Amino acid sequence: MAAGKISLKLKNSLSETNRLFERIQAFGESQGLDRRQIFHLNLVVEELFTNIVMYAFGDDKTHWIHISVSHDRGRLTILLEDDGKPFNPVALKSPDLKGPVENREIGGLGVHICKELMQGMQYRRVGNRNILTLTKTLDRKAP
Amino acid sequence: MEIIEEKENDTAVFKLNGRLDSNTAPEFDDKISTSIDNGVRFIVVDCQALDYITSAGLRILNKTAKKLKPVDGKVVLCAMEDYVREVFEISGFDTFLPIFPDMQTAMAQLKTG
Repeated sequence: MAAGKISLKLKNSLSETNRLFERIQAFGESQGLDRRQIFHLNLVVEELFTNIVMYAFGDDKTHWIHISVSHDRGRLTILLEDDGKPFNPVALKSPDLKGPVENREIGGLGVHICKELMQGMQYRRVGNRNILTLTKTLDRKAP
Repeated sequence: MEIIEEKENDTAVFKLNGRLDSNTAPEFDDKISTSIDNGVRFIVVDCQALDYITSAGLRILNKTAKKLKPVDGKVVLCAMEDYVREVFEISGFDTFLPIFPDMQTAMAQLKTG
């Protein structure tokens, strides 16, 4: 497998998700990831990006969200950085996944999906910035 | 995202083509809600051409299942890629949303149990 990295700077707007998706898709393909791996990568990045856009900012100003994805011989690292309110997804409780449909709340589901699809998740608050790092070692492809 | 709706009496089939995410979920939500308001009780979501789904899409399916339960209705899914199904499983959605391998089976099971 190859090695590479992309860095993206996105506005805090859901309209950026199309560009984000296309860039991640192209990156995944350039790294030789399979469809499932690219789908999961896109899903994780988009869930976290969407959370930041929807909940991190209490004003009407434009904020920049920095996202990078790097890949080195099967090891994926995702980094997200924003200047929004402090938010530690690592500490977020998982939603009820077993009860009847009436009791299911959807809050926290995006973060739960990210935790399940990745292996490591680390949060740091540095100055006025949230820095979230996620890591995963990809399954070796079937020959 | 393209959403094709076919309706017959109290049953509707929604074919999803493309990506169901935070941008396209509101349109899907509107179409399903309108359909239920117009008397639909049984819904099949055909996922054969669904490339991608996020929690925004799951939220709509959760809402639909909640709405249909008290009126003895049902929403089921069919023909999804394995990697899409995985997202339903890790979210615990497969416990209240039946997922069938194809449209024929989904239609046959829709009004049973």
